Amino acid sequence: MRALTTAATGMEAQQLNVEVISNNLANMNTTGFKRQRAEFQDLLYQNVANVGADSSDAGTIVPTGVQVGLGVETASIYRITEQGSMTQTGNDLDLAISGLGYFRVQLPSGGDGYTRAGSFSLSPDRQIVTADGYTVAPGIAVPQGTRSISINQQGQVQALIDGQTAPQTVGQLELVTFANEAGLDAMGDNLYLESAASGAANAGTPGSPGYGSIRQGFVEGSNVNAVSEITSLIQAQRAYEMNARVITAADEMLSTSANLR
Amino acid sequence: MDNAMMIGLSRQMTLRRAMDVVANNIANANTAGFKVEHLLHEAQPADTATHTDGPSDIQFATTWGMGRDFSQGDIELTNRLFDMAIEGDGFFGIETAGGIQYTRDGRFRLDELGQLVTADGSPVLDADTRAPISLDPSVQDLRVVDGGQILENGNPVGRIGVFEIEDRARLSKAGTGRFEYPLQPGEAEPLAMFEPIVRQGYVEASNVSSITELTDMMAVMRSYQSVSKFLKEAQDLQKRSIERLGKA
Repeated sequence: MRALTTAATGMEAQQLNVEVISNNLANMNTTGFKRQRAEFQDLLYQNVANVGADSSDAGTIVPTGVQVGLGVETASIYRITEQGSMTQTGNDLDLAISGLGYFRVQLPSGGDGYTRAGSFSLSPDRQIVTADGYTVAPGIAVPQGTRSISINQQGQVQALIDGQTAPQTVGQLELVTFANEAGLDAMGDNLYLESAASGAANAGTPGSPGYGSIRQGFVEGSNVNAVSEITSLIQAQRAYEMNARVITAADEMLSTSANLR
Repeated sequence: MDNAMMIGLSRQMTLRRAMDVVANNIANANTAGFKVEHLLHEAQPADTATHTDGPSDIQFATTWGMGRDFSQGDIELTNRLFDMAIEGDGFFGIETAGGIQYTRDGRFRLDELGQLVTADGSPVLDADTRAPISLDPSVQDLRVVDGGQILENGNPVGRIGVFEIEDRARLSKAGTGRFEYPLQPGEAEPLAMFEPIVRQGYVEASNVSSITELTDMMAVMRSYQSVSKFLKEAQDLQKRSIERLGKA
């Protein structure tokens, strides 16, 4: 009986839905986290009577056909990259991106990673690095004796050094954008990798057309909305229960047949 | 076996199929753009073996088609730039290897070339050019206004194709949320609608009503059980008559 396996695909899909929702909720307070959405689509259809097939010798055709669907499948788990809320921290090296773009991070393995989690700090050799200690491209070193660092919306990094009155420009941050940012490959630790689906990275100056601007002293929170996640969770749970009911009903039908003798 | 048993079995076969269809509806309760469907039954008259010229007093149950409900699904707010829902009639046109397919599922995205595509990467067609729609990914002010017109920073760059299907009963489901529309000889491809209502930032949910489906499911199950009971009675009757006649 197909109903059993069909309902099983429904339960599997809703289970995955709950897993995605719980990951969103778990990362509600993760800096720069982008929520995900499980997208479903119907599975194959089995043609019992084809549309347009001959239904008699007189040349009449089947007007609608009989197609029995085989359930549901996951089309994709889509990352929704809308802006997260900004939280003021007052920390000099907390940078939030307002608008499009990612910071480029030099991974220890040699490649590039991309992130929107801009809570940076200084390494022992006075480089601007991420929380994991990876250098933020293009690699900006702050001179010895710096009292304060100011970063403007265009990403220009200026340091005010002890004993000097005018701040000194020490570097320029860059942002990268992608044709399809939802296609980036998430590697955990708030980092993404370029993929064939995302398109190539286009580097540019913050604040220029097509690129977001940098806000010093802010971090970008996650874009998870607790209310909508809980609503989706309720929907997923109810759908799961309904599919379980179908399995029970199909099972009862099979058992009445089995007891026919 | 006499006709009573065969008729009972034909009914049970259609009921099983009806159950499969209900199961598929429920499995797709959370599938955007999914349209609910039900099996249509009919009584198939057949002649008895003993008299072939008289009126047919035997009716087998068969399935002959799908009744698909194309009513509007709930429109849910998602606020995502590339989520689109059609209000009223029409289908989005999707270019696939096997020709144009139609869908009500408007969860689109951009691919690596900046083309508007579906979840599996098939391009969404423009209403006027019937070609894929290319957008500039760096534009942040992207709006879809009435009639499906796409505006980048206020400049029109294309129009999302919403196609009018004349005879929706001829649509056949192709899976992945899409329909195929087999053309009859000499028939032209469906035309794009002039003023479709496309809502950006919304998704059309399935139109599966959980209460209707669960009620249907119970009805199918109970009729299956009653047919089983009837089959058992018919069998008992046969058994008893063999026993009694055997004694004589």
